[in-house]
Amino acid sequence: MRVSVLQENLARGLSIVSRAVSPRSTLPVLANVLVATDEGRLRLSATNLELGITCWIGAKIQDEGSTTVPARTFSDLVATLPGGNQVEMSLTVRTQTLNVRCGASNTDLKCIDAQEFPPMPVSDVSQGLELNVMDFKEMIQQVVFAASTDDARPILTGVLVTVKGDTITLAAADGFRLSVRKARLSSPVARPLSAVIPARALSELARIASDGDKTLTMITPPGRAQVIFRVGDVELVSQLIDGMFPDYEQIIPRRCDTRAVLSTSAFLKACKQAEIFAREGSHIAKLNIQPGGELKPGVVEITGQSEETGSNQNIVDANIEGPGLLIAFNVRFLREVLDVIRTPNVALETTANNLPGVIRPVESQDDQSEFLHVIMPMHLGS
Amino acid sequence: MSIHILPAEVASQIAAGEVVERPASVVKELVENSLDAGASSITISIEGAGQRLVEVIDDGCGIPAEELALAVERHATSKLSQAADLFNIQTLGFRGEALASIGSVSNLTLVSRTAHSQVGAKLRMEGGQLLNLQPAGAPPGTTVRVEALFYNVPARLKFLKSEATERRLIDNLVVRYALAYPNVRFQLMQDKRPALQTSGRGERREILVALYGAEAARQMLEVNSIDGEMRISGFISPPSLTRSHRRDIFFYVNRRPVQDGALSAALLKGYHTLLMVGRYPLGAIFIEMPPDAVDVNVHPTKAEVRFRQPEQVFAALQSAVRRALLAHSPAPGLNISLHWGSGEQRPSSFTGHFDPSWPSMEKFPPQEASVEAQDANPPISASPPARASSQPGLPDQRVPLLRPVGQIAAAYLAAEGPDGLYLIDQHAAHERVLFERFLAQRSSGIPSQALLQPAAVHLSAAEARLLADQLPTLASLGFQVEPFGPGVFLVRAIPALLANSNPEDALRVLVENFEEDETPLQALQEERIIARVCKRAAVKAGAILSMEEQRALLFDLEACQSPRTCPHGRPTMIHLSVDLLERQFGRKGAR
Ligand SMILES: Nc1ncnc2c1ncn2[C@@H]1O[C@H](COP(=O)(O)OP(=O)(O)OP(=O)(O)O)[C@@H](O)[C@H]1O
Ligand SMILES: [Mg+2]
Repeated sequence: MRVSVLQENLARGLSIVSRAVSPRSTLPVLANVLVATDEGRLRLSATNLELGITCWIGAKIQDEGSTTVPARTFSDLVATLPGGNQVEMSLTVRTQTLNVRCGASNTDLKCIDAQEFPPMPVSDVSQGLELNVMDFKEMIQQVVFAASTDDARPILTGVLVTVKGDTITLAAADGFRLSVRKARLSSPVARPLSAVIPARALSELARIASDGDKTLTMITPPGRAQVIFRVGDVELVSQLIDGMFPDYEQIIPRRCDTRAVLSTSAFLKACKQAEIFAREGSHIAKLNIQPGGELKPGVVEITGQSEETGSNQNIVDANIEGPGLLIAFNVRFLREVLDVIRTPNVALETTANNLPGVIRPVESQDDQSEFLHVIMPMHLGS
Repeated sequence: MSIHILPAEVASQIAAGEVVERPASVVKELVENSLDAGASSITISIEGAGQRLVEVIDDGCGIPAEELALAVERHATSKLSQAADLFNIQTLGFRGEALASIGSVSNLTLVSRTAHSQVGAKLRMEGGQLLNLQPAGAPPGTTVRVEALFYNVPARLKFLKSEATERRLIDNLVVRYALAYPNVRFQLMQDKRPALQTSGRGERREILVALYGAEAARQMLEVNSIDGEMRISGFISPPSLTRSHRRDIFFYVNRRPVQDGALSAALLKGYHTLLMVGRYPLGAIFIEMPPDAVDVNVHPTKAEVRFRQPEQVFAALQSAVRRALLAHSPAPGLNISLHWGSGEQRPSSFTGHFDPSWPSMEKFPPQEASVEAQDANPPISASPPARASSQPGLPDQRVPLLRPVGQIAAAYLAAEGPDGLYLIDQHAAHERVLFERFLAQRSSGIPSQALLQPAAVHLSAAEARLLADQLPTLASLGFQVEPFGPGVFLVRAIPALLANSNPEDALRVLVENFEEDETPLQALQEERIIARVCKRAAVKAGAILSMEEQRALLFDLEACQSPRTCPHGRPTMIHLSVDLLERQFGRKGAR
């Protein structure tokens, strides 16, 4: 293999794919990046067997070929090569040594034969579902944080993605909270789809997808238990999670007694403060929802308290319909959901201190609310 | 052998107990009878999840008309005659109990004809009363119809789970028998719709699909090994295919489905190092051995067996599994590395927080190098163990500021303190941290976190009784648990401190707790419960901790009142002083 690529392109490609490298694997080749010529471009791939990322970059190819290069060393090296210069790489197949030259720098890297690299599926983009990058990125951000990080229930470490008719829905839950986000597709799909994608893979996708890219293609090859995302020159492949995602529709409360509408930013700030004091172990914060009267506005009083640190209280003005209520929540959960709500106002819907609370963005009339978040309350035992 | 009533001294040696607990038990007994009768085709029809109707039709040997009435008597069997036979059982049935038990709680119709008689006979029984017995035309074989199950025992009825669950139990049961008898054609109808159909052509893998789903069934590896008179065969999953529970592991001994924790343990040992902590394989393992090498007469519903030489069985199983895995898996350990590779998958159960109340370095007393806190059984309490006062050099149990150095064997942390090296048992240390947080919260009320969906926990009758007695105590600890039918409890909320653990596990550990500890004292009981719960919730040995997590755990431990022991009294740390290190390395003469 003999190729030359622009330093910037190589550095960018490596930084994208190296997120899928598994340095601590017992399979040494997984700590490497596959470097291969591919139809006039250079292909970089990394995989940890669960998640794989491939990035194609422009290159001048003199001789075709491929090898796998230790990811860490290679990235560190390339990052320090002079920008604007060509990086010349040539492989000695017999010794699997990659010579890397750039400017005055000359390096020999010990590689592992590309044969040992796990095969990465090749996708047929024409079969995929087209999504708007920015919209999908926002959808991901609004649900992934609610997925579980606990391997004891693998299904909850994933995000349920369903596509039916002209609607795509993302849902994630960790046993205590549920985040659901829907969006309209530009055109309805022929074949409905339902897959549980690891939250980690979606987070990576959101990280990779940059503002410059317009569309993102999602492909679920039949019978392969995999999902492939293609965005620009990057392809991300993830194993799907096997199992039944809980039927979340039945968890969503149908009605509420008390609806408080607050400023999202004021509520978020109050939660951040309370969290400092609610830290010890349980993150419990109390919300005192007090409807207004003739003269005074309604308020929500948010209190965080700790034996050791002290206590903190914040009062946020609110428009409240229905009776008052004292209810407690994990304040970290509140903060995390408020962090992903983009509308200026947010509604907190509650009914009783032992029933779930629902948080929704308050949208303008014509923009129907497509996001909702259910949080189970906490309770102080006697 | 013809059906006869067992002599009392034989009957009394048979493991006694409740035979029919639920519709699935009826199905089990009837299917076993058909299999014992040598049937090559068994058709099972279920209506109303088995409560309205369980009908089993077979083409087996049939029951002679003159023996039909005997078949429904207690202790009447054709499969056993003397006590010695109990040690050489070759049939699934042997107690002569099943039909009698079923007949006493339902309306039972039995129609049977043997191949060499012209007409058959029909028997009708209602709630244990024999109503009539008359000749009847029938194809060779036996048909048993069980209607209105439990109509005369309303208490039982109330204990049944939802129809969907009971139906599923029946489905699972029939699949398991079908797998053991691939040469028998099974047909299962639920409310007139086919739920399972096997070809009877001896193809086990086709039945595996019904058990595990197509994808998993495809991946299953075959096990096949012979060890003396014992043969182990069946299927296990490759290390890449795992579950978070053991419920997909099935064992058969001489084609009888059995439950045996020790067999599971042996199977898991075969996977040694190939599975991540908390992950379990799938498996359907058939153990065949001479009937006299295994005692099947140990459990009232025949669900358990006792091996004459258990160690030999376990060892054979373990090596059979190992061999199958090595033969099929080119890169053992992949599964582990895959999870190790991604650092963010582990729950970070101890989020670090800065605690200004750490003891300063000066406060830390000089100590002798040794394993500290060796007490086997100090009282469980938040105050320093009594040992502290008996050692004048130890005014305070607290530990100094520790700097994490790294993790050893995924179980211990190495840390540097002002006076040398500390080795910390991560599990014991986290147990201590959780325990003290619980105690600290107790004064102001233990916060509990509600679950999105209540978790149902199924317990044995004895466990359920223990739990029911403790519900108020549990409530004060932050568990919101309510009875939900016999042996079933719904967990609605768990202590916030345990939010990272599985609610079902957390509750289960409490029941185990009650069995072992019989302290009447409420307060002590409560602390023991807390200690138990913390043990289950604490980070396990085997979990890789990031540097961040290690640091957080050390911080939290430093803040504890009694950081040097876990709530059960085992040491959390070993201290090797600089002095000791110097002497060991020969830099300083022995004193
Ligand atoms: N489907 C059948 N075909 C032929 N004979 C049967 C059938 N079902 C029952 N029998 C006869 O009826 C007898 C009593 O059956 P039952 O199930 O009550 O007891 P068992 O099978 O001997 O022992 P167990 O209580 O362990 O099942 C059997 O021993 C057998 O002779
Ligand atoms: Mg029987």
